Amino acid sequence: MKWVSKDMDMYLGAKEYVDTVVLPLLPISFGDDLKQTASMTEFISLLTIPLERQFKGRLMMLPGYTYLKSDSDDSRLQVIKHWETEFKKSGFKHMIYITSDSGWRTIEDKCEGTVIWLPSLPLENMDEKYRNSILEDQIGQLIHLFVKKWQNND
Amino acid sequence: MSKQRVTRRQFLNYTLTGVGGFMAAGMLMPMVRFAVDPVLKHNAAGDYVVTKQKIDEITNEPVRVDFSFEQKDAWYTSEVTNTAWVYKDENGEIVALSPVCKHLGCTVDWNTDATHPEHFFCPCHNGLYTKDGVNVPGTPPAAPLDVYPYKDVDGYLALGKAEPRKGA
Repeated sequence: MKWVSKDMDMYLGAKEYVDTVVLPLLPISFGDDLKQTASMTEFISLLTIPLERQFKGRLMMLPGYTYLKSDSDDSRLQVIKHWETEFKKSGFKHMIYITSDSGWRTIEDKCEGTVIWLPSLPLENMDEKYRNSILEDQIGQLIHLFVKKWQNND
Repeated sequence: MSKQRVTRRQFLNYTLTGVGGFMAAGMLMPMVRFAVDPVLKHNAAGDYVVTKQKIDEITNEPVRVDFSFEQKDAWYTSEVTNTAWVYKDENGEIVALSPVCKHLGCTVDWNTDATHPEHFFCPCHNGLYTKDGVNVPGTPPAAPLDVYPYKDVDGYLALGKAEPRKGA
């Protein structure tokens, strides 16, 4: 489900079925990597839509955590830790972060949840048909990852 | 110049009738429109979307058919992609099932669960449906998958709005 009030009604009625929370990590920078961070954010935001549709009944897709690319690892980690306490308190068993920012790879071991890192693709230069097929490919892999994760923890 | 000259009285009569009639029409027209409005209303539910699936290429094996259409959400128009599982049943009738699980709305897949082949399977909470879309008792879903009404448009499959069915 998405973070909209209509879906929250569903969530409140079926809490025990929703055990996964997904937080997209979206970098923002106004420096040299302005375009790069924008394309990372765009790519991940595009991916979350079909992913949410596929697993509507089991995962909660949050609107995404935007942070400044210049933030230090420590401060970012602290925020994630804060999110995690809150997630666990709310009864989520699986915490998944999806991002294109490679900065998270160095601190992913320190997070309790799983960081899924996907290299962002230059979608701006592709025609729509090609773009959709590439996105579908990525989504297929993501779906596989999620199902596997659920099976292993059951 | 014509011999018949318009008198002042005639001239005023004509103008007043003309202007009065115009005003009356201006008032009556919207009223008439409101009265017959339900007839003029565009029936959105009756819209069929033509897919890329050729009807004579449909087999007994369910295939995934994606189709997109424009959806109007107040002033916001967006392109929506829907999916259907399409196959021919044993009588040769086309069946188009909605992939939306009746439990909590995940997307179901055909034949992906190794322990239950030839079933529609929902990966979220292991919901199962038989090939005709009827939910398997004992799994979370409480109703069969919705069915799309379909039409044949020049050999291509056109799908309408998915309709719910009664539970098993």
